[in-house]
Amino acid sequence: MGVTANVVSKLEELPSASSIAITTSVNSYFDVLRAIVDVFATRHDLYVFYVTSTIPSKNIENLFGLLGIDSSRVFFVDTISHLMKEASTTDDRYLYIESPTMLEYIMLKVEYLARKYNDKKAVVILDSVNSMSIYNGPKIMSEFLHILVTSLRSWDAYMTIIAMKEQNTEEIHSMLNMVCDEIYDVEEGE
Amino acid sequence: MADNSRARCKTGIAGLDNILNGGIPRGNTILITGSCGTGKTTMSLEFLVHGALMGERSMYISVTEAPEKLVENMITYEFFDKKLIDDKKLIFVDLQEIYVKLGLEKLEFTLEDVNILVEQIVKMVKELGVRRLVIDSITSICYRLTSKEEIREFILHLGKELSDMGCTTILVSELLPSAQGYSQYGVEEAIADGIILMGNLERRGDLLRTIQVIKMRGTTHSRAKYVLDLTSIGVLIAPLLKGGSVEAR
Repeated sequence: MGVTANVVSKLEELPSASSIAITTSVNSYFDVLRAIVDVFATRHDLYVFYVTSTIPSKNIENLFGLLGIDSSRVFFVDTISHLMKEASTTDDRYLYIESPTMLEYIMLKVEYLARKYNDKKAVVILDSVNSMSIYNGPKIMSEFLHILVTSLRSWDAYMTIIAMKEQNTEEIHSMLNMVCDEIYDVEEGE
Repeated sequence: MADNSRARCKTGIAGLDNILNGGIPRGNTILITGSCGTGKTTMSLEFLVHGALMGERSMYISVTEAPEKLVENMITYEFFDKKLIDDKKLIFVDLQEIYVKLGLEKLEFTLEDVNILVEQIVKMVKELGVRRLVIDSITSICYRLTSKEEIREFILHLGKELSDMGCTTILVSELLPSAQGYSQYGVEEAIADGIILMGNLERRGDLLRTIQVIKMRGTTHSRAKYVLDLTSIGVLIAPLLKGGSVEAR
């Protein structure tokens, strides 16, 4: 099986309201996103609340378009475009936060989406724990992830945290181990 | 000792009702205090709209802003229904018009003037069966009172009368960012049954809107600081992360 199929298969095993960290290499990054956004979310008719601190939301959406991934069910919580001076009109599909350091506002924007779009369940993607760790210390990151994961459980939402293998540290691994139900390591050449 | 079985006036703001263990004890007069741009008016209006939606007649007495402008701002809220105003479930009163009606168009009030004003507010609440009241802002009224004794008399008198009628009241209080204490004149905070402090917190260059319940008679409550966001579906509240912070009110 390929990366996409394996990740989907792993996600399918999870009970609802689970949290999973997916560690992937740069090479498999888009396969992982395809698995979550295109296959898993579509199959289960889930909204996707995509928290990005790595690539501006408009760029991700363009990439989804190029890859033929349907992004109509995706809502972005974008913490990076403001820093890049790329944040434009805000609507519910693109919610901008001034900086990845405003962690409470990430929680609040996700809650906003969960409350407003409550006709379906959701899968939340945090992309990525590594880029967020550039801006936030391990203590506040752990606290943030713990509260976010816990609150998403009450919304019956899935939580997926992307971790890039090339940038992972022991500290990040321990943090993910502590806050997530599972860690799934995407094997190279799957 | 706090009595958690006391009847509650649910604010309808989920995070705040959690902080207050179910809502504001009914009949309390509370101070929502903070510097400009911290969300005092927005939160007070949401409190009234939720009340009106729950069938409780709600009244907003505006001292500084034209009611039309406030209503215009409220249209952006998804929970707001203009029918509440048409059905008089939600009532806006311009205090300037009351001043004119009562002949109180003066810069300074005497104790007698204060009593006339209180009686008029109480009369409106009684006649209209108002269950939730917001006065925005109490600071603007107190500005016309010449002594702390008059301010004390005004708030005590008003609070007692409204409480006796089971009306839950929010007094919006304006603070300077540099102010010490929780109110402009230092009297309001001592008399009110509750204090909700709204502020700005600076953390590494980010400015976060915060909310903290300092006191609330009649209930146990969280005293922690929370972060709030003003959204089209109302005020949302999240715990403040403890990452080392420096306060800027």
